[in-house]
Amino acid sequence: MRARVTRRRFLKTAGAVGLGAMAAGMRLPAVSAQAPTRIVFWHAMGGNLGETVVQAFVNKFNESRKDVQVEAQFQGSYDDLINKLRASLGSSAVPAVSQVYDIGTRFMVDSKAVVPVQDFIDREKFDVSQFEPNILAYYRVGNRLYSMPFNTSTAILYYNKDMFKQAGLNPDQPPRTFEEIEAYATKLVRGGATQSGITIAIYGWFFEQLLARQGVLYANNGNGRDAPATAVVYDHEEQGARILEWWARMVKNGVATNPGRPTAASQRAFAAGQTAMTVDSTAVLKSLLTQSGGRFQLGTGYFPKPPDAKTGGSIVGGASAWILRGRPPAEQQAAWEFVKFISAPPQQAAWYVGTGYFPVRRDAYREPVARQTLAQYPQFLTAISELRNSPINRATQGALLGVFPEARQKSEDAIEATVLGRKSPQQALVDAARDVNQAIAVYNRTMGIK
Amino acid sequence: MTSESATPAYASARARGLGSSRRRARALRRALRRVGLDALMIVVALIVLFPLLFALSTSLKTGAEVDRYPPTLWPHVLNFGNYPAAMQQAPLPRFLLNSFVQAGAITLGQLVTASLAAFAFAFVEFPGRQWLFFLFLSTLMIPGEVTLIPNYLTVRSLGWLDTYPGLIAPYLATAFGTFLLRQFFLTIPRELQDAARIDGASRRRFLWMIVLPLSRPALATLAIYAFLSSWNQYLWPLLVINSTGMRTVQIGLALLQSQEIISWSVVMAGVVLIVLPTVVLFILGYRHVVRGLTAGAVKG
Amino acid sequence: MKSAYALLQALAYLIASLAVFAAFVFYPLVRNVQLSLYDTTPFGGLSAFIGTRNYAQLFTSPDFLNSLRVTVLFAVYTVPAGIVCGLPLALLANRRIRGIAAYRTAYSFTIAVSIAAAALIWEWMLDPNVGILNYLLSLVHGPRIGWLTDPHWALPAVAATTVWQSLGFNVVVLLAALQGVPDELVEAARIDGGGQWAVFLHVVVPAISPALFFVGVVATLGVLQSFGQVHILTQGGPVGATNVIVYSIYRNAFFNFRFGLAAAQAMVLFVLVLAFTVLQFAVFERWVSYQ
Repeated sequence: MRARVTRRRFLKTAGAVGLGAMAAGMRLPAVSAQAPTRIVFWHAMGGNLGETVVQAFVNKFNESRKDVQVEAQFQGSYDDLINKLRASLGSSAVPAVSQVYDIGTRFMVDSKAVVPVQDFIDREKFDVSQFEPNILAYYRVGNRLYSMPFNTSTAILYYNKDMFKQAGLNPDQPPRTFEEIEAYATKLVRGGATQSGITIAIYGWFFEQLLARQGVLYANNGNGRDAPATAVVYDHEEQGARILEWWARMVKNGVATNPGRPTAASQRAFAAGQTAMTVDSTAVLKSLLTQSGGRFQLGTGYFPKPPDAKTGGSIVGGASAWILRGRPPAEQQAAWEFVKFISAPPQQAAWYVGTGYFPVRRDAYREPVARQTLAQYPQFLTAISELRNSPINRATQGALLGVFPEARQKSEDAIEATVLGRKSPQQALVDAARDVNQAIAVYNRTMGIK
Repeated sequence: MTSESATPAYASARARGLGSSRRRARALRRALRRVGLDALMIVVALIVLFPLLFALSTSLKTGAEVDRYPPTLWPHVLNFGNYPAAMQQAPLPRFLLNSFVQAGAITLGQLVTASLAAFAFAFVEFPGRQWLFFLFLSTLMIPGEVTLIPNYLTVRSLGWLDTYPGLIAPYLATAFGTFLLRQFFLTIPRELQDAARIDGASRRRFLWMIVLPLSRPALATLAIYAFLSSWNQYLWPLLVINSTGMRTVQIGLALLQSQEIISWSVVMAGVVLIVLPTVVLFILGYRHVVRGLTAGAVKG
Repeated sequence: MKSAYALLQALAYLIASLAVFAAFVFYPLVRNVQLSLYDTTPFGGLSAFIGTRNYAQLFTSPDFLNSLRVTVLFAVYTVPAGIVCGLPLALLANRRIRGIAAYRTAYSFTIAVSIAAAALIWEWMLDPNVGILNYLLSLVHGPRIGWLTDPHWALPAVAATTVWQSLGFNVVVLLAALQGVPDELVEAARIDGGGQWAVFLHVVVPAISPALFFVGVVATLGVLQSFGQVHILTQGGPVGATNVIVYSIYRNAFFNFRFGLAAAQAMVLFVLVLAFTVLQFAVFERWVSYQ
C-alpha cells in the first residue's frame, strides 16, 4: 500500500516539476498553447449581415486557430448593444471584444473600461499605414486609436435609373446639391413617373452628415475633439435650420415622403419601386441590389452638398471593435488577435462585397473578390470616392459626445417635429439643443470631466 | 340551463293573455331574433379572433405572397416552411425553455411562499397579525416601475444579470396570491383545525395533510395566474437578459422583428408558436382562470 | 409568553415572503426615493445630492408633461372602449343556448395572448403598405393611413391593440357579473312593463356596477403601467405621441442612462397609482356597503 502511494505521489510530483520546468523554460506566448482561450464577441449585425458574413468570419477564424476560439453573440441594434455593454461594464458579464457604433466612441473612452488598441499596436509595431486616413481621423481620440475600425460606411444617395429616364432626367447624372435633389424630386412627381420623388427616413445620422457636408460643426470645442464638448452648436448655425427647411418643404410639397424613423421602411419602399430616390448607408447597397432584383437599375450618387462648401465632406460611419478591460489579459490578447483578423484585407474585402461597407484599408481593394465586384457593380465605388473626396477637418471628423445616442434621438425629434409641421426648424433645433446641452452638463458633471 | 323558449318572458306573454295568432307572431319574431343573435355571435367571434386567425394564415404564406397587395385572407399556396425558418432565425425552442424555467420557478415559488404566509395569517393567532397583513397588501400598491431601477441595480451588483435567478428572484412572493389563499383557507371549518389539534398534529402536519389538499382549486387558480403572468412578462426580462441564449419568449418575439428586412410570414410563425402554450393552458384551465380573475371582481 | 411563541411560529411561515418583499419591494422603494434626489452617474452610482432638482426639471420639461398628457389620453381611448366592447360580448356570451361554452372561450381568448404577441400581430395588420387594415379602408375608399407614423393615429392604433388584448379579461369579468344577476330581478322589471333597453339600463347595469368598476380600474392601472406594446409598435413616437410614462422612464434610465431623473419619474408614477388605488378602495367600499 505504502509503496504504491509513494510511487503515485512521486510520479505526480515529478510530473508537476517537469511541467513547471517546461513552463519556466518556455517564453510563454501571450496566449496559452494548452487549451484554447475562449472569448465572446458582441455585435449588432443582424439578419443577413449577421448570419452570413459575421458568422462566416468567426468560423474561418476559429478553424484557422487552435489557441483562440470566438463565440459571436448578436445583441440587437447598435443602441441595444451599447446599452447592454453599459449595463455589464461594472460586472464580469462583459465580453472580451465588442462592436460599438461610431457615436459611442466618446463614452467608451470615458468609461475607462477599454484597453486602447493603440497599446497593442505600439507593442507589436502593427502597421496602420494602409488604413484610410479619414477612418483613422475619426477613431483617434487625442492621437490614440482606442478601437479598431471594423465596418465603415458613409451616407450616399440611391436612385432608380429607370424612373429618371421616365421623367426625362439623365440617369447617369444624379443630383448633387440640395436644390438639385428638390428639383429632381419635383420633376419626378409632377411628371408622373412616381408618387414619391425621394424618401428620407428620420435618422439623426443623416442630419449629422448634412451638417458636415456643409462644413459646419455639430458641437463646440472643435466638435469635442480639442476639448470635451459642453454644448451642441447646430441651433446657432443657419445651416442646421436650412437642412430642416429643405426636408420639411419637400414633404409638404408632396415630392418627398416620410417613412418614419426606421431606414428599413425607406429601403423597402425604394426596393419596391414606390419611390425614386432615397438616402441610406452604403452598407445596404448589397441588400438593395438583391431586393430590387433586376426590377430596375440601381444608381448611386454622393450625399448632397452645397457647391460653395469647400470644407464640407462626409463623416465616417459604421462601427469599430473595442477590447474590454474587464476580462483577463489572455482574453484581451485573444481579442486583439481576432480584431486583427477581421481588419485584414481578405476579411475586409469579403465584408465589402457582401454588404457595401467599404474596407478600412486600401490594400483590401486589391483582393480578387473586391476587383470582381467592382467590375460588375461600380456602385460599390461611390461611398469610398465620396469619402476620399472629403477633406479632413473638425467638421468631417465628426463630433465626440458622451451623450451622443441621446443627442441623436433629440435631433430626430427635431426633424420629425419639423417634417410633420409641428414646429419651425429653428424652434425645433433650439428645443433639441437645450435638452442635449442639459444632458451633456449632467454627463460631464457625473463623469468628472472638466 | 333553460332554453330561451321556456323563459319567463314567454310565460309572461301568455300570462298577459295574448291571442294565439298574436302569440304566433311574437314567437316568430323571437325566433328571428334568436337566429339573428346566433348569426351575430358568430360574426362577433370571427371579428374578435380575426387578428389571431390572420396571424395564422400569414404564417402559412410564402414570403412573396405576404408582400403582395392587395393582401389575401388565406394563402393561395400553403407554406409550412416559415416555422422552421422562425426557429432558425431565433432559437425559439431555447426561448420556450427559458420561459418555462422562469414561469415554472416563479409559479412554484409563489405557491410555496403564498401558502406558507396565508397559512400563518389564517390559522396562527399572533400579535401584530393585522399589521403584517396590511404590510403584505401594501405591496400591491407599489407598482413595478418604482422598484424597477433599484431592482435592476441590485440584480446587477449580485451578478445575476443574464441568469435565471435574476429573472425569478423578485417575483418569488405574491401579496395577491397570499390574499387569495388566505380567503380560501378562512373557509376551512374551525372544527377541522380543532380536531387536528386534539389529535396532537403539529401545525405543519395540519397544513400539509389537511389544508393544502382541501385548497386544490385555489392553488390551481394561483398556479395558472402566476404562470400566465410570468410567461407574459416583458419589461423585466428585457432589462435583465442580454444574451440571446437566455432570452425569454416575449423578448425573443421582438427580436424576430428587429431584423433589417422584416419577413412577416416568419414573424407570424414565431408568434403562433409562442402563443400556442398559453392557448393550450387557457383552454385546459379555463374554469380556473375565470375563477381567479373574478375572485377580486364580483365578490370583492 | 404564548403569544411570543405564536409570533415566532408565524414568522417562520412568513419569513420567505417577507424576505422577498424586503429585498425587492421595500428596499427598492426607499432606494428609488434616494436615487431621485441625487445626480447619478451613467453607471447608476450616486454622484451628488441635489434635492428636488430632478423633480423641478421634470415638471418644467415639455417631454415629461407630454408623457403625462399621453398617458391620460391613452386611458381615455382605452378604458371606455374596453367596456363598450366587452359588455356586449359578455351579454352575448350570457345567452343560454347550446354550445355557448365555445363562444365564451372564443370571446375570452385574448387572455391567452401576451401583449408582445398582440403588438406584433397588430403591427403587421397596421402596415401602411401591405397591411390588411389599410386594404379594408381602401375598399370603402378611405385614405391610406400611416397608423404608426402619423402622430394623429399612433396613439389610437396602440390603444386599439391594447383594447383587443384586454378584451378577454373584460369579457370574463363582466360575464361572471352578469351571471350573478338574479333572473327574478330581470323578469320582475320586464313584467313591470319595462322595455329591453330600460331593463338593461336600470336593472342590469347597476347590478353589475362593481364589475364594471373593477374592469375600469384594472384597465386604468394597466394604462398607467403600459410598456410592451409601445416598445414594439412605436418606441414612444412619432413626436412623442405614444410616449407613455413607463416608456419614458425606461428611455431615461436605460437609454439615456439618467437614473436619478428616471427614478423621480417613477416616484411621480407611484403617487398617481397610489392616488388611484386609494380612490378605488374608497369608492369600492361605498359600493359594497351600498349593496
